[in-house]
Amino acid sequence: MVERTAQPAGLGRGFWAYTAILTLVAIVSIVFWYVFPLERYLPAAIVTARQVDTLFRFMAATGSALYVFIVGYLVYFAIVFRAKASDAPDAIGIQIHDNRKLEFWWTVIPVLFVVLLSVVSVRIWYEIELEPANGLVVEAIGHQFYFSFRYPQINGEVTDEMHLPLNVPVTLNLTSADVIHGFWVPAMRLKNDTVPGLVTSIRFTPRLAGRYPIICTQFCGVEHSEMDKQILVIEDKDSFDRWYKGWQQKNANASNALPGAGGAAISLQGGDAAAGKLLFSQKCTACHKLAPFNQTLVGPGLEGVLHDSNHPNLVNGQAANPADVASILENGYTGSMGAMPSASSNGLSPQDIANLVAFLNTLK
Amino acid sequence: MAVAALHSGGIADHIHPEPQGFVRRYVFSLDHKIIGIQYLITGFVFFMLSGLLAEAIRTQLLNPSGGFVAPGTYNEVYSVHGSAMVWLVVIPLLTGGFGNLVFPVQIGARDVAFPWLNMLSFWIFPVAGLMLFSSFLMGAPTAGWMEYPPISLQGAAGTSMWCAAIFLVGVSSTITGINFVVTILKMRAPGMTFTRMPLFVWGQFATAPLLMIATTALAAALAALFIERQFGVPFFDPTKGGSPVMWQHMFWFYSHPAVYIMILPAFGIISEVLPTFARKPIFGYKLIAFSSMAIALAGFMVWAHHMFTSGLAPFLQLPFMIITYLIGVPTGIKIFSWTATLWGGKIHYTTAMLFAIGFVGLFTLGGITGIFLAAIPFDLHVHGTYFIVAHLHYVLIGGSLMGIFAGMYYWFPKMSGRLLNETLGKIHFWLFFIGFNGTFLPMHWLGVMGMPREVATYDPQFTFWNRFESVSSYLMTFAILIFFVNVLWSIRYGKRAGANPWGARTLEWQVPSPPHYYNFKHVPTVYGLPYDFSQPLPYSGLEEELTDSPPPVAAGAH
Repeated sequence: MVERTAQPAGLGRGFWAYTAILTLVAIVSIVFWYVFPLERYLPAAIVTARQVDTLFRFMAATGSALYVFIVGYLVYFAIVFRAKASDAPDAIGIQIHDNRKLEFWWTVIPVLFVVLLSVVSVRIWYEIELEPANGLVVEAIGHQFYFSFRYPQINGEVTDEMHLPLNVPVTLNLTSADVIHGFWVPAMRLKNDTVPGLVTSIRFTPRLAGRYPIICTQFCGVEHSEMDKQILVIEDKDSFDRWYKGWQQKNANASNALPGAGGAAISLQGGDAAAGKLLFSQKCTACHKLAPFNQTLVGPGLEGVLHDSNHPNLVNGQAANPADVASILENGYTGSMGAMPSASSNGLSPQDIANLVAFLNTLK
Repeated sequence: MAVAALHSGGIADHIHPEPQGFVRRYVFSLDHKIIGIQYLITGFVFFMLSGLLAEAIRTQLLNPSGGFVAPGTYNEVYSVHGSAMVWLVVIPLLTGGFGNLVFPVQIGARDVAFPWLNMLSFWIFPVAGLMLFSSFLMGAPTAGWMEYPPISLQGAAGTSMWCAAIFLVGVSSTITGINFVVTILKMRAPGMTFTRMPLFVWGQFATAPLLMIATTALAAALAALFIERQFGVPFFDPTKGGSPVMWQHMFWFYSHPAVYIMILPAFGIISEVLPTFARKPIFGYKLIAFSSMAIALAGFMVWAHHMFTSGLAPFLQLPFMIITYLIGVPTGIKIFSWTATLWGGKIHYTTAMLFAIGFVGLFTLGGITGIFLAAIPFDLHVHGTYFIVAHLHYVLIGGSLMGIFAGMYYWFPKMSGRLLNETLGKIHFWLFFIGFNGTFLPMHWLGVMGMPREVATYDPQFTFWNRFESVSSYLMTFAILIFFVNVLWSIRYGKRAGANPWGARTLEWQVPSPPHYYNFKHVPTVYGLPYDFSQPLPYSGLEEELTDSPPPVAAGAH
């Protein structure tokens, strides 16, 4: 038996010399990932993008070093221990079954690495999650096949570009008018799906001015591939304000635009909730349910419209408040979110509107 | 004593005569080996079809503006490509195919526990496959293999056909899972304890419960989607009170374990091929077997790592991230053990061995990028991009498919009695290896730089690498063509293999190639692990297997 068994090669000089070479290659690959100018190829448009890059560099560096060793030894053993022509045809290898010490360490070291990686990634995850929640609130709504954007003081939707001011924290609320889309700005290293019937939000702070593509990453229909043409513009406060005023002006002039906050002239004093409830069942239930907003008939469910902080903004882009609800009841709405008749075509008197708002205010 | 009594006769040696007609022998066969071959043939036919779809995808992406097929057709093509590769190719080849062909012989059983169920589970499979491909006639599904509602609710009639087809494949998988679990638990030869089972059997033993348990979640999801599409019951449509995210939970509760269904049997194949050709015991047998079971169990606890962008509560995401990291530990143990198996060996470079070593190298890369994707902050960047496409193909081609090829070169004698041609095999390996890396390696950086998946057109800045990938994919397809030529040629003209051409030590190599109907003249007794090359074979009762003596036919056999 002994003569057809290979002599134990041990871990001779060749092995350790080779290990030294692998170590060198591993170090080079680690250095490579830490000096690689990622931002030259993909700018870091928001503060946390750089944290994501830090995590990526850490994983790429440790991953490459690990890969260098595994493939390095795989190739080395495959060459050194090949059967040679001089071997007996029935030559066999060294009959070892295991090595407790080795197996112990290659179980324990990866576990320790998992702990380290968990700490690193949870910390970076925290920095993304802890972005301030009281920033500029913007909404992005997925449509087949574009995103529309809504701003607090702009009536109606902005549908060409999304503008954000530099260094101002942003809360971006995402939802969809039809199917699931993915809102991704590669330069932000951040994405989230826009899910119909669900409002999710991401928070971030722009740090670098520029024009960055917004790309849909969730298959949404036949023109999904074309849904990568819109642009996120990050610019200084002055340019942003000019752009913002321009849109306010434009939408205020548009024929179907609604008066903004404070523009509604209807007195809401003396609204009778009981009368409003009766009126709701006569005039409104064809299109609206008394259910969470995602339970749509024609329009959204209205339960908690004035109280639920998760309720998305109204169709005019305003956070729901009694005055704006009244103005929508008065003027109706026609736009990309659908259509609602005005008070005159619905046969609502100003008192009716006050009653309805009072009723909606009781829905919590 | 009980062991010896069982071995020398009694119920275990009750052999029915082999059926004679062509139909009972080769079409509606009850023999697990024939059923295994049926699975392999059917699976490879579907592999060719969905491989052609893959080439249609790569041809479309030669130009940033597409132009090979219309975008709508393109969406149908990649959706059916993904669905077919997962459900009609990789899963059936590894479980129904190699599982049926090999593991009952490896545990010294005469057949699986339920041969009729086995036949049923096979015959559901081609029917379901034809249904899936027939969906092209009525407008195939377009929303990828995941078919997220609500977009899948808008799909043409073929999407309902897709639901029905995948549901049927699921039934077939579930039956196979039950059959394999019972067979391994109840039908091992005397002395074949759990710690003496070959590692391929361990791979199947870890996979079978996944087939049984996880597939039921998929079946429920598919039934709901089908009912919603056909009868309007709102499970997933948010405008009627349904929840689109619920589909994602149910789908991934199946589809993450399915990832392990597609890789654990391939781990098993590699764990057989490496020791055989290194002429060495597998390193760390117990830890490899244990880690398969650990991966299978943990596989049920990580599904939401596919859903970090779906709007889950942030704190719920953390455990999914960390448990996914932890799966890297048992997987790493396997990779280290395979590498260590080569140390001190006498390595024979057959094609099967090349594929096995290639598997370790490529699967490791796919495993490492899997850790990247589990990290929530990085996943929020690359989710839904070509980085994912690269990762999953490194795992499914560099892993599962390389394992399937290793298994084909290794066990072809047990199907046909002949060897596959080694020269063609080595050409196949090297062209495939180069073509594969050329196709999928650049996808990593395309994804990081901003190329989303499932697109028919793309940003012109990515043109160069997409063309590079398409040309590489043609090379890969050419290599696979060589493989098919090799198989067809070798069935007729290949070198006769004899019982044990590789000097392997598991039970299937101690009986003729192909094994007799009912596998063993006498059920053997097992005394130890098969992998120690310095010891005599740990079996008794095999003396007559390679002689001409007739098998004992029990009195009263019908």
